Amino acid sequence: MSAIFDGAPLTAMQSPQPPHNTMSPQELGLEIKAFISGVDQAQGRKLSIRDHARCAVRLLRTVPACRGAALEHLRGVYDEYVLAFLQDLEGESDGGVAGSGVDVSGSSGLEDVIQEIHTVLSEFIRLNPRAWAPLVSAWAVDLLGQLSSKHAGRRGAPHSSSLNEPLQLWMSCSATRSLMESYSQCLAAMLAWCPDACVDALLDTSVQHSPHFDWVVAHIGSAFPGTIISRVLACGLKDFCAHGYPGVAASSPETPGRQTPPPHTTAVADKSSRVPKIGSVVGILGHLAARHSDSIKKELLRMFQESLTPAPTASDRAGARDSPLQLRRATVPFLLQLAALSPALLVLAELVESLRPPVLLQLQAQFQGLPREELDNMLGLTVHLISQSPAGGPRVLRFLVDTATPASVITSGLTPAPHEGVRDACDRLLQLLLLHLHKLVYNRPEGDDGHPLSAPSPASPSSPPPRIVPFLEELRGHVGELCAETLRLERKRHLWLHQLLCLLSVYGGPSVATEALCQLLTLARTPEELALASQLHAPLSSSLPGLLPAAITRCVTQIHTQSLQSKELAQLLNNLALAVQSHEEEAKGGSAGGASSGCVSAGQSSMVAQVGAAVSSHLHDFCPLLLHGDPAVSRAAARLLSCSQLPRAASPAQLLVISRAAVAHFFLALRLRDGGEEKDGVGVAGGRGEAVRCSIRLLSRLAAHSPLTLKSVLQQLVEGALYKGNADLFGGQAEEPGGEAVPSPDLGASLLDINCKFGTTVNFSGSVWSVFHAGVIGKGLKPPRSPAHPDPDGVTWNLQTLLAVVVQCCSAGGSGNGAGSAGTRLQRPDQLSEEPAPINAEAAKVVAVTLVESVCPDVANGELAWPPEEHARTTVERDIHIRRCFEASPLLFHLLAVVAAGRPALCYCSAVLRGLLATLLAHWESSREPAALDSPWHLQASCLLVSCMGEGQLLPPVLANVHEVFPHLTPFEVRLLLLAVWEYMRGNSPMPQKFTFSAERGLFYRDFSRDGDLSRYLAPVYSVLHKNIDRLGHLCWRFQL
Amino acid sequence: MSDIRHSLLRRDALSAAKEVLYHLDIYFSSQLQNTAVPIVDKGTIELVEEFIFHVPKDRSVQPKRMNCVQELQLLEIMCSYFQEQSKDAVRQIIFSALFSPQGNKADDNRMAMLGKLVSMAVAVCRVPILECAASWLQRSHAVYCVRLAKVLVDDYCSLVPGSVQTLQQIFSASPRFCCQFITAVTALYDLSSEDLIPPFDLLEMVVTWIFDDPRLTLITFLNTPISANLPLGCLDLTPLLGLVRWCVKSPLAYKKNLKPSLSNGHTGKLPREAVECEGADRDSQPLYSKLHLSVLQVLMMLQVHLTEKNLFGRLGLLLFEHVAQLVEELGRLVDELNPLNATKEIELSLDRLAQALQVAMAAGALLCGRDDLRSLCSRLPHNNLLQLVMSGPVQQPPHSPYQPGFYPHIHTPPLGYPPRPAAVAHPTISAHAPLPTHTAHPAHNTHPSHPSQTFLPGMTFPYRPIR
Repeated sequence: MSAIFDGAPLTAMQSPQPPHNTMSPQELGLEIKAFISGVDQAQGRKLSIRDHARCAVRLLRTVPACRGAALEHLRGVYDEYVLAFLQDLEGESDGGVAGSGVDVSGSSGLEDVIQEIHTVLSEFIRLNPRAWAPLVSAWAVDLLGQLSSKHAGRRGAPHSSSLNEPLQLWMSCSATRSLMESYSQCLAAMLAWCPDACVDALLDTSVQHSPHFDWVVAHIGSAFPGTIISRVLACGLKDFCAHGYPGVAASSPETPGRQTPPPHTTAVADKSSRVPKIGSVVGILGHLAARHSDSIKKELLRMFQESLTPAPTASDRAGARDSPLQLRRATVPFLLQLAALSPALLVLAELVESLRPPVLLQLQAQFQGLPREELDNMLGLTVHLISQSPAGGPRVLRFLVDTATPASVITSGLTPAPHEGVRDACDRLLQLLLLHLHKLVYNRPEGDDGHPLSAPSPASPSSPPPRIVPFLEELRGHVGELCAETLRLERKRHLWLHQLLCLLSVYGGPSVATEALCQLLTLARTPEELALASQLHAPLSSSLPGLLPAAITRCVTQIHTQSLQSKELAQLLNNLALAVQSHEEEAKGGSAGGASSGCVSAGQSSMVAQVGAAVSSHLHDFCPLLLHGDPAVSRAAARLLSCSQLPRAASPAQLLVISRAAVAHFFLALRLRDGGEEKDGVGVAGGRGEAVRCSIRLLSRLAAHSPLTLKSVLQQLVEGALYKGNADLFGGQAEEPGGEAVPSPDLGASLLDINCKFGTTVNFSGSVWSVFHAGVIGKGLKPPRSPAHPDPDGVTWNLQTLLAVVVQCCSAGGSGNGAGSAGTRLQRPDQLSEEPAPINAEAAKVVAVTLVESVCPDVANGELAWPPEEHARTTVERDIHIRRCFEASPLLFHLLAVVAAGRPALCYCSAVLRGLLATLLAHWESSREPAALDSPWHLQASCLLVSCMGEGQLLPPVLANVHEVFPHLTPFEVRLLLLAVWEYMRGNSPMPQKFTFSAERGLFYRDFSRDGDLSRYLAPVYSVLHKNIDRLGHLCWRFQL
Repeated sequence: MSDIRHSLLRRDALSAAKEVLYHLDIYFSSQLQNTAVPIVDKGTIELVEEFIFHVPKDRSVQPKRMNCVQELQLLEIMCSYFQEQSKDAVRQIIFSALFSPQGNKADDNRMAMLGKLVSMAVAVCRVPILECAASWLQRSHAVYCVRLAKVLVDDYCSLVPGSVQTLQQIFSASPRFCCQFITAVTALYDLSSEDLIPPFDLLEMVVTWIFDDPRLTLITFLNTPISANLPLGCLDLTPLLGLVRWCVKSPLAYKKNLKPSLSNGHTGKLPREAVECEGADRDSQPLYSKLHLSVLQVLMMLQVHLTEKNLFGRLGLLLFEHVAQLVEELGRLVDELNPLNATKEIELSLDRLAQALQVAMAAGALLCGRDDLRSLCSRLPHNNLLQLVMSGPVQQPPHSPYQPGFYPHIHTPPLGYPPRPAAVAHPTISAHAPLPTHTAHPAHNTHPSHPSQTFLPGMTFPYRPIR
């Protein structure tokens, strides 16, 4: 058994073969007398405690009838020993004063007796466990209980609240330790054939001496964990069954739910009065839970599963109360009850794992027969447990929802659909759970987050801390999953989850609510799904002010931290846009008197209204997304920006940033549309067209916002359009890689090398000095530029789009700076092709100035007045550059046309016009072709230039019409006519001052009659007409003054 | 009586019990002065039950309980009292007043106390108590006897190791008690299940006793006036039938009850225990064989004693019904065991049965005809010896008044019994023979025509000792 006792010196009394043979009956009689009287019969003196105890041991070995008496006497010996032991301890703690020596000798004197007793008992148990183990175990356990509760109040004994101290103390006392060892030995022997009995005794004693006896149970439990756990549970179940489990009835969820976390001990106390053993079962398992929680959980689960194994025979049904069937029936209520008493014994999460459809069916079958109120009580208890369980909430929830969801053709793919009754039960359970949570959440005392929920709150200073609902507490971390589940919109499921989400938001306060809303906004894919967000917002908005702005801020933060996938990001932006748009439509509908949409979603309207405002305030945060790498994101951003109001209070910097991004996005969209039409299908292209449309709308909105933005937008539009990289979009010549831009790699020469060589050798070939317009010296002519217009339709479309945007911006920004033009502005995007509104002169001026800046590299000679034609030779270089620009980009003419329409803006382009005209003159002069038609580009350019100047009213109508005859003339004659134009321009400088505003038409007009005689400029025209009268007769009327 | 009770109520449990004993002593001593047959009246019984066995008389009085040490003191006092009481009659009457079962709820306490008293008496060798206990075993219903035997067997054969010697020494002190003890033990352990196989120590002790002196089994029979009206359901006069059962059934019972523990790989049994069981099995069979020999010797002896008492052919010590029951049990056992596996054991059992039957019939201990025997044993499997016994003529004792080949039957008209021996012949026995409970019973002489019916009432009710 133990080395301590084995190692004790063997006296004659302790020898394995007791000396009973040597004692005659007479001696035995004397021994009994001595034992009873406590007086040595031979010598007539009183027996010491030791000798008396020895006498008892002798009787125990020899006279079976004295067994009870001897054991009872030995109790006293043990008691005496423990007393001495504790007194020693106390003496030690007092400093070991007088008297301790006696005590030590007393206790040490008993020590060998106790060893003797232990030896005898363990020998008996070893030899005949069947007979002795029950006897000794009952005796030992009772004695242990008595000792530990009797001495519990002593100074030396530690307080019983903690378990370790008593355990250490008692195990250091050899009396209790030897008892413990004997008991363990008995238990080890008895577990083989009657485990119930010994654990029963243990439990009974535990009830009687709780809590002083707990250390025994804990020790035994940790020595035989598996057995003790299962036996304790079995005993508890049996007892529970015997006492009738309608006891569940009294524990409706209100009772334990009222105290915040049900105080363990009181709950046990009031329960144990009714079902005595369950209290100690809970206590014991509670002790063991610290180290053996896994096995406890396993055991609980095993019990549950065993309770569901089908009855082996039908005869069991007719059995008595204690029949296996009855036990099985009681198991589930029992487990629930256990869990209600101790949170540590709750195995919901694991339990849920094992609830497969067949198990559920059995469960249902089992409880079908129960009376209604009992079922209700169990449901209530279950609900309470779920709401109080600190772990596994999401799994439980998932299970409940999965099971309660009605079967449908779509979902019943993997698992067989649950039985109808099971589903109903789950449904009910879920609804009760929601109801319960609702109560818990809304009856909470004043929240910690400072939002008063219940109106009549007493607001006492000593109000209890906010109640914790562990279930919700745990779900706080799973808001995202909940939202995702909710958005699946499966039948009833989303209703439940939505409700739960509401409760969770109220419970968790702004942080959770914000997260939930944010998640919903991010994850919703359809308007129906988006509606969930507003449905969530509606009940929360009353209790959580400022919820929506917070949610939007959170979204923005997410964007900034780039924690969203681009797909989600696009989704989020789209959803926001959708919300804003629906608000706009609603506002429109509402103003138009349509009450149809009013009742649809009052809550929604409140949300979308706030969404608009909130988005507006964060607009500049969204604009970087316009340039996001993912086209879907940028498109969505454009959509959002295009439909949301620009904040009035936005700073210029923000506005500039927005406008820059918007313009950049516009070109991006064009390019993408271009590419998309080539590569992808029609649908994608359509989507990209949508992007372009949004972009247009955004730009026009921006332009209309303020003069500043108008200027900025136009400027950047023009600059962007003329930017070399974008040239190919508009039919221009794209920059050739390896051309002018990167000459040096071809040559293999660096400026450093050349500088090093300079002065020693004069070799121009291969140096920077050898590069000319036409090519590099020594390399021949540059290869002619490839036409590179793979998609003329696309180019046309792009051109039109750009022009439309420009026109729209020009006309929108100028005509109404006031707020009254909002309505017309909104309609405009749809009316691109209709009668254009007059182009704002200011806007046109911006376009013109920008155009000049980008086309004309040289500011010298940039004055508006035209010099004599000869002066043109001073600006040859610049003129050539200008011409090249026009050659490279057909867009310029269109822009010029726009500028021309916005009179008098064309005046500001006079440098460009002049340069172009000068190069054209030079061309026609040097041209040796028979007809003007032979140099088509120059012909076209001349025509466009002149007509443009006519439109801009730089030329009078008669003179502007000359371009109509150009195709029929020779180059020289064209030159003559163009010279006439130049002359006119020189004589009548294009000055904006010459234009007057006509209020009724909203345009500037120039009165040519003030400019003096026109005929002297028309003389070359007439002479050319005359010379070619045979071909030009039909055009003569165009030149009549 | 009631004034005594009131005074007792004020005392503590132990002194009250002592007072009751004192009262009983005075009461019965004075009664015996006046009358030869004292009456144990109801009041006395109630007093004993209330103050010694602590069964509350009415609800209002909280029963006082003695703790184990006080109980031991009381037992010690009883022991001393019975030891020192010189008058046998007073001893007997007080013992029976204390311990005769009354069929009420006090019986449990009564039996527990009796068990402890007898156990203690065995330990300290108090012969008077053992003699009283022997008489008690003779008078009481078998159910109670078996309970007492169980207590003793538990105490001395299983609980305290090595203490069986103490019990064994009783043989020399009180053979009469030994004889009754054997009878009770054979009734208890009838080999019908694993639990009812006698422990090895017990078996060894019993065999040693009988082998040393086979006459031990007949002591009760020889010392009892045959005419006495034995109460219903008491133990047999001799342990012979029980011993025959042990011998006959043991090969099969051991075989059957050891088999499961071997095939299942000792379910719930410690390995050591299983080994012990096997060892017991190995060691027990020679003991049974020895026992069988002794039993046969006793049967042979019986013939002389029966003839001496002039009861030969009139008193069957082995009742035919009981033998029939035994044969039936044997047949069931044979059926249960697979005959292929247990051929040897079946053969041995049947051989022993045949021998026992043969000798018992020959000795006049079993009164039955050969036809009865044949029909009785027809179910059993074939056995040469048994066949021989059933068919062969039985050697009649030379002085038999009957024809050879005819077994005297129990229903043959009885010869006139000798008149009941008077108290003069057996003073000690006659003193207690008219039991208090049976005082109303008419004397035997009034029914001379059918003495056997009262004499051999037969064990009509089945019982099993409480395990």
